[in-house]
Amino acid sequence: MKLTRKLALVLTVALLATMFAFAPAMAEDVTIRVALWDYSNTEYYKTMINGFKEANPGIDVEIIEFSAAEYSDTIVVKMAAKEDYDVIFMKGLPEMAALINQGNLMPLDELAEGYDFTPYGGTEKSLTVDGVLYGMPFRKDNNLIFYNKDLFDKAGVDYPTDGMTFDEYLDLAREMTSGEGASKVYGTHVHTWASNVYQYARFSEEYVYNDASTWKNLIPYYEGILALQEEGCVQDFGALKSGNIHYSGVFYKQEAAMMQIGTWYINMLLENVPNEDNGIASFNWGVCSMPNNYGITTENVVGGITPVSVGAYAKHPEEAWKFLAYITGAEGAQILAKTGIVPAWAGQEVLDIFDHFRDDHPNAPEGLSKYISGSNFIIEQPMDANGKAIAAVGDEMHSAIMTGAMGIEEAIAEYSAKAIAAGASEGE
Amino acid sequence: MTSIQKTRRPGARMHLKREITAYLFIAPNFIGYMVLTFVPIILSFVYSTFDWNLGVYKAYTGIANYRYMFFEDLDFWKVVWNTFYYTIGTVPVCLILSLLLAMLMNQQLKGKTFFRSVFFFPYVASLVAVAVVWMALFNPDKGPVNEILMSLGISDPPRWAGSAEWAMPTIIGLTIWKQAGYYMVVYLAALQGVPTELYEAARMDGANAFQRFAHVTWPMVTPTTFFVTMMLIIGTFKSYDIMYVTTQGGPGVATKVLAYHIYNNAFVYNKYGYASALSVFLFAVVLVITLIQFRGEKRFTNYL
Repeated sequence: MKLTRKLALVLTVALLATMFAFAPAMAEDVTIRVALWDYSNTEYYKTMINGFKEANPGIDVEIIEFSAAEYSDTIVVKMAAKEDYDVIFMKGLPEMAALINQGNLMPLDELAEGYDFTPYGGTEKSLTVDGVLYGMPFRKDNNLIFYNKDLFDKAGVDYPTDGMTFDEYLDLAREMTSGEGASKVYGTHVHTWASNVYQYARFSEEYVYNDASTWKNLIPYYEGILALQEEGCVQDFGALKSGNIHYSGVFYKQEAAMMQIGTWYINMLLENVPNEDNGIASFNWGVCSMPNNYGITTENVVGGITPVSVGAYAKHPEEAWKFLAYITGAEGAQILAKTGIVPAWAGQEVLDIFDHFRDDHPNAPEGLSKYISGSNFIIEQPMDANGKAIAAVGDEMHSAIMTGAMGIEEAIAEYSAKAIAAGASEGE
Repeated sequence: MTSIQKTRRPGARMHLKREITAYLFIAPNFIGYMVLTFVPIILSFVYSTFDWNLGVYKAYTGIANYRYMFFEDLDFWKVVWNTFYYTIGTVPVCLILSLLLAMLMNQQLKGKTFFRSVFFFPYVASLVAVAVVWMALFNPDKGPVNEILMSLGISDPPRWAGSAEWAMPTIIGLTIWKQAGYYMVVYLAALQGVPTELYEAARMDGANAFQRFAHVTWPMVTPTTFFVTMMLIIGTFKSYDIMYVTTQGGPGVATKVLAYHIYNNAFVYNKYGYASALSVFLFAVVLVITLIQFRGEKRFTNYL
């Protein structure tokens, strides 16, 4: 009995001693909680976070990772439950609008006082509501036409050029379509997203998703793309959707000569072409700006901003801001840029990196920087409190038109009414 | 009097003690059910009268959500129609198919266990995996189903999930493929519970195979049929996962069902009040159908 009592006393003292021993160290360290998706398989996050921790000793980073597909919906629900995430990554503006609308993001104006926003080229303004800044622009992606130089060379056709008209683009796709069965090459690839059509109209600012009166301007673009589909110059929407076909593979395997997709594809091409293990042969690729009927070239860029914000219930907003400033600032931007992802911070260092990919990646084109630095950055889906609902209506319309379930004009009439019901403006 | 009370007391205490023990056994499940199922159901009735985006903003709006649902929501009636279409397309076929399979598997068949496992397999496999395989089979351009149809001389086979008319039948087919194996097992258990004497007696009376089915098998499995019908109807009414992994409700809104509409309104559009009103509607529909079924049960089923 005595022995056990003694033992208990010794153990208690030992336990208390260790607690006190660790206590001071714990008090100094702050751990910020960061919510994001795809952390495990994205190298640049890890590089950035390590860099941040080195630059800011005493701040530790805890990652809360969610599945990519449902992230937009999950984060909104999580924040409604008042999770104390310090840093919140978002996929785009519609979910950011929802979070702001719920009062679940922290205004950054005080934290960001005195911060130099010049290198962001004004992209941060798209993250404000009534003049209040709610997030920092992390990535920006604009859509481009990617093309396979080898296929064009083989066919003896000139490469697509900046500022070509939409009809020239369609004709080029027809010209580049060849072969049958397994060896068929499609002139271009139209992935299943609504943006793979509406982005042409958005590029020339004829269309914006939250103004239903502009939806009719999509008609010529749908007509053009549907014609290509009927002529067999692009893969069929229904087949792509049923087969859950990812656009990246279609282009890697040289099944399509062109493809309209975002600049993140630069990163994918740098990493995957060539890749013998995955059966991806070497080919040269290039990019050009979006076709349009107004003679616009690289001065316009259209795409999305990936924002990152501080949660409304953050326990360490100061440290969270430091994290934001680091990852969206010069250091973070260069880490991103080296992987071929376009950071929103667009200083000369970043542009240089994009101009010199060819040094290490002989398949890449030279002079990529002019395609990511247009002075007029058109936000694909500007902030709107009803953004998610309106975008969903647009997606439904897209599948109705692309499968031929509805005629183009009929669909646009019906769905623009639905968009208005979902909160889109009726325009003038 | 007093003596009686005195003698009753220990018994009553014992009884109480026993009751408490029983309640304690029920408690873990019951508390879980109350907190995670019952209270949220009641709350969704309350929320259905609010305009709420899950954030700080919440306003009582009375029956406005219901008015919007019945008169203004441009998708609502289409979605209700789709839900009934899906249910009516799925339930009878799945029921008949699983009963037929069960009767087949109940025969003295070589490799019976193997076939049973084959039919049961889609039910065990993950929905996503089964859906991907199904969609690949029914791919409008390169799918084996359409290749077979084309080789049979049908030059313009259906475009399955890629067309508004065929998308729902494609999903119904997938649901049946996935579910039939499970209900086959349920029926198999029922069939094995049918006393063989009944068949012997029927045979002695000169009943043929069809008569034996109509007058012995079918009446004997009616409780199971009732159970299967109810489970299938409730299951199809509340399913949205299958559309989520295949068509996302498309093309257009061709495969958007009520539960999917609820999901979208709640988690995509963040209209929790309206989503709650929709789920109250779904609840009411399922309740009415279940009540009708229970009424019918007494007339329809034979319990031995």
